[in-house]
Amino acid sequence: MNKRYVMVHDENKCIGCQACNVACRSENDVPEGVTRIQVRVEGPFGEAPDLHFKYHRVSCQQCEDAPCVTVCPTGAAYIDENGLVSIHNDKCIGCMYCVAACPYKVRFINPITKAADKCNFCKDTRLARGEQPACVTVCPTDALYFGDANDSNSDVAKLLNTKITYQDKTHLGTKPRVYRVPTKRGGIQS
Amino acid sequence: MNNIWGDMAQYDPVVWNWIIAVYLFMAGLSAGSVLIGIGMRWYSKDKQIESAILKASAIIGPVAITLGLACLVFDLTKPFHFWLILINYNFDSVMAIGVAALLAYSPLGIAYSMIVLRDELPKWKLGFLVPISHMLMPFRTMIEILLFVLAVGVGAYTGFLISAMNAYPMLNTAILPALFLASGLSAGAAGNLIVALTCFNSTSHDDDVSKLHGLDLPVIITEMMFLVMLFTSLYFTGGAAAQALASLTQDIWASVFWYGVVGIGFCIPILSMFLPSKARHTKAMMLTVACCSLTGVLALRHFIIYAGQTYIS
Repeated sequence: MNKRYVMVHDENKCIGCQACNVACRSENDVPEGVTRIQVRVEGPFGEAPDLHFKYHRVSCQQCEDAPCVTVCPTGAAYIDENGLVSIHNDKCIGCMYCVAACPYKVRFINPITKAADKCNFCKDTRLARGEQPACVTVCPTDALYFGDANDSNSDVAKLLNTKITYQDKTHLGTKPRVYRVPTKRGGIQS
Repeated sequence: MNNIWGDMAQYDPVVWNWIIAVYLFMAGLSAGSVLIGIGMRWYSKDKQIESAILKASAIIGPVAITLGLACLVFDLTKPFHFWLILINYNFDSVMAIGVAALLAYSPLGIAYSMIVLRDELPKWKLGFLVPISHMLMPFRTMIEILLFVLAVGVGAYTGFLISAMNAYPMLNTAILPALFLASGLSAGAAGNLIVALTCFNSTSHDDDVSKLHGLDLPVIITEMMFLVMLFTSLYFTGGAAAQALASLTQDIWASVFWYGVVGIGFCIPILSMFLPSKARHTKAMMLTVACCSLTGVLALRHFIIYAGQTYIS
């Protein structure tokens, strides 16, 4: 059976340290000026002294119905057998249709290859060696979980079965595979 | 402001810039010009004579699409790999369908031009092409019909291209292809008029020219109607779509819309209709109004591209 790779970001455990951001840059040779993953620190929310921040992971959502793949004229953007949204660099001509069409704005043009680029869960490097993606391994608070959701014994499957999670922009019908455990501290937005 | 997570430049939602707006304009101009040239031929009584309007469209059609495609290719990050798009097709993608359509439209447009301009070619030292013109003559009707259908496709395609992105509520609307087709017709009419009056010595009183002039008002009214529909649908969709309406009041693109699209593109041509008939039908006045129409269409493409991408779902 094919794998259904998913990632879960526990926003309660995240501290916004950007270790994931740095580890990704190092593992995937991401050039300066562009990033595959950022954790945006939003806030502070609440009344002093009970302030808190929210942490929002910005990276490829590995959509099941990926707009970037639909719009790509040459088929350079594709979904592989394990559901990972991937790019054939040699088929990409840099029309930037995918960069524009991505509702999460996580695609960019790699200034060195001149092709579209983004997070692919380290599939060519660490995943190929049977390791977890760099961001997951490096996270000091274990806020990231990664695995095969088709395997009911995997950590991610258990987590998704027991915790409340949400995904970004589900109203666009993209079916993202990055899930988020919402921060417990709520608050009324003005 | 400094942040700890890095450069934000890549997250700018405005991905496609003015070069794409110019391409959309050129494609619309080419398609509109061809549609009007061929359409008016079908409605003319004497089909033996190549009218100045048809000759104008035979020039604008291929030239505008070639310039537009040149813009498109040099906007790629890998311009010298553009041929990859000609051999790899993902027919889920509007762009791939557009490439296929343009691949038929461009050569057919050139072929049709050679037929229409066969008496003109020797004057431009292109006499060696005349035998090809005569070779193509028997297929004229077929080429004409195919080119007309493809021109409708190309005109609407530029709208489908950007309305296919559901990330942008202002672009992701059903009316956009229709709006682009209508404004392409408006640009095509203006372009044909300018070339016919300046290059083919037609006078402002020619039957064809006045017929073409009569198209202005219905096309402008259609465009205005489509714009009202666009903004109304955004308003009632609510949420991110309704927020995109701020583009009508904020920032530079509001000025481009009100001064460029509405002021120059709609108001000047409409107001010119209230001039006394004598003043209205001078060559200078007709050229001025046509230039205003073209400017308005160019402004509309810029407004849609930039304002459309500024607001994200």
